[in-house]
Amino acid sequence: MACRRIGDQEQFLATAFSVVNCGRPPAWGIRTHSICMVSDFFYPNMGGVESHIYQLSQCLIERGHKVIIVTHAYGSRKGIRYLTNGLKVYYLPLKVMYNQSTATTLFHSLPLLSKENTVLRAALDPEIVSVIPNAVDPTDLTPDPSRRDNSTITIVVVSRLVYRKGIDLLSGIIPELCQKYPDLNFLVGGEGPKRIVLEEVRERYQLHDRVRLLGALEHQDVRNVLVQGHIFLNTSLTEAFCMAIVEAASCGLQVVSTRVGGIPEVLPEDLIILCEPSVKSLCDGLEKAMLQLRSGTSLAPEIIHNKVKTFYTWRNVAARTEKVYDRVADETVLPMDKRLDRLITHCGSVTGYIFALFAVLNFLFLVFLRWMTPDSIIEAARDATGPNGVWTKQYFHTQKRKEKEENSNC
Amino acid sequence: SPAQPATMNPARHWQKVLYERQPFPDNYVDQRFLEELRKNIHARQYQYWAVVFESGAVVQQLCSVCVFIVTWWYMDDGLLSVQWLFGAGLVSSLIGYILFDAIDSGAGRKENRRTRWADLKSTLVFVAFTYGFSPVLKTLTESISTDTIYAMSVFMLLGHLIFFDYGANAAIVSSTLSLNMAIFASVCLASRLPRSLHAFVMVTFAIQIFALWPMLQKKLKAQTPRCYIIVTVVFALSALTGLLTISSVGAVLFTLLLVSISCLCPYYLIRLQLFKDNIHGPWDEAEIKEDLSRFLM
Repeated sequence: MACRRIGDQEQFLATAFSVVNCGRPPAWGIRTHSICMVSDFFYPNMGGVESHIYQLSQCLIERGHKVIIVTHAYGSRKGIRYLTNGLKVYYLPLKVMYNQSTATTLFHSLPLLSKENTVLRAALDPEIVSVIPNAVDPTDLTPDPSRRDNSTITIVVVSRLVYRKGIDLLSGIIPELCQKYPDLNFLVGGEGPKRIVLEEVRERYQLHDRVRLLGALEHQDVRNVLVQGHIFLNTSLTEAFCMAIVEAASCGLQVVSTRVGGIPEVLPEDLIILCEPSVKSLCDGLEKAMLQLRSGTSLAPEIIHNKVKTFYTWRNVAARTEKVYDRVADETVLPMDKRLDRLITHCGSVTGYIFALFAVLNFLFLVFLRWMTPDSIIEAARDATGPNGVWTKQYFHTQKRKEKEENSNC
Repeated sequence: SPAQPATMNPARHWQKVLYERQPFPDNYVDQRFLEELRKNIHARQYQYWAVVFESGAVVQQLCSVCVFIVTWWYMDDGLLSVQWLFGAGLVSSLIGYILFDAIDSGAGRKENRRTRWADLKSTLVFVAFTYGFSPVLKTLTESISTDTIYAMSVFMLLGHLIFFDYGANAAIVSSTLSLNMAIFASVCLASRLPRSLHAFVMVTFAIQIFALWPMLQKKLKAQTPRCYIIVTVVFALSALTGLLTISSVGAVLFTLLLVSISCLCPYYLIRLQLFKDNIHGPWDEAEIKEDLSRFLM
């Protein structure tokens, strides 16, 4: 996959790849592709990857492409299902090994990293790596200042409680600030092995009424928690694209975060206070945010929301992904010997040969499968049009025009 | 569409931000790409002789194990009397004890605030207990077959060498585990000796060579490096001589092992530094540099 998508569950996204096939005639000026998204994670499972694939597919369908999704069967949900707008999903009867992952995901789940790291580690030409941010649906994440308790200041943390999210730093920040400011409360959403550290701190400093640990949150409950706070704190030690801070800003919170990974690229300077990953620096950042709140110089939640909602939209992500597909479709497919050459020369003197061996085995397996079930006896699927032809492109085309008119009106 | 490079404004520079729609394609590679890449920031420059000097700790420990086994062999064959070993152990312990304080002229003792009386007390307690329990130690593993005892001793001594604290700051290092494994090996081997007095002397000797001797070495190394080198060479030579009287092939192999550890391995370590290719950059996981446990104390 030539394009990179950054998400909150980046380690799984590596397996969500797309196969592009542009055998269909172009329509309405843009090239249309037949796109197959393959991922272990899809509805009815809920999460970042699942919604990413669903939303991206919907936007690509809207742009006139044909999209199918291949995933594994979830309980009795197997076979072929059609979702909204004729999004066809194949639930394959594969054996689930661990945590809703089939063998393939377990064997090649590489963490997705920054463009620099991807280029360096995989020895790629940087020109073929595109950086496309994740999208956030701003319609659900609206501010609600009436839910805030303005007699105090509430700092919200929503994160898995693990080492990589810097929960140890949080365990230093809580006592430091709570002792200094009696009108400060913490609201922590999320679950994980580091919860015990926070509980110990709460016990040690007698902060039961000021530090609330909410435990694991469903995605739909996140907004409910976010709108109760004034400041959002992110203490991550490493992050590709931090969805949490965008969601918090979308709910109108002032964001304070560590300056790690891709975080400085995510929000403009007036919406985020960046700190070094140390208790001292984060406390300084939080104090600055509290001072702005008290003096009334901080931006109003509504203003923050209106700024953030334009940043990361699904339509934008889909348009940019489409460009990558266009480019990939133009690439020539290398013959087998060239591919083996590339593996041997690019992947190290020893591992290169091992990779080449696996490639050959894979190829032989494909040949074997083709011999078992020849292409000629597989019936080609026909495009479904849906009830009253609502899934045809003509329908979307008119829809889209309507939307454009609406957009230009407002 | 927003991502299209519609208006290419040459005056406008690309920014490494995601929140803004820029007039550049998504696969744009800026001049500053990989500017923050750092390579081999933790690589160290080694001096050959300094590494050889440091390898002395490994050589010493290998020789300790060798001396221990040779001594046991002599005891098993009846070539070494119990009284002689006990006497030699007592004398060398006393000399070592005096040296231990003499090297740093009592500075370490003052720091620990440990009195001689306390030393004497713990020595007496230890000797009394080992002597009292030596009949138990003698029969403890008697019912286990001799082959199993040998195999177990080999594994325990290997484990002792692996987990020993050679001065490296690594997770695998555990001096407690290392010492326990060595003592366990000595208890195993002691059960094959003829009498319980033998077992007592063997275990005492194991304590001397595996617990007390490394402490003295460490101090020697820190205070008088010159003496340390001489002591290491003499110790290695005596271990080799002892081994030679038992097996000439073993002595040759052991010599090769010592030479490769003290001469070849340092050379390799320095050569392999050239092939180091560590990549660091802003994408690395941040490190928490401060001590956060103070908040829980």
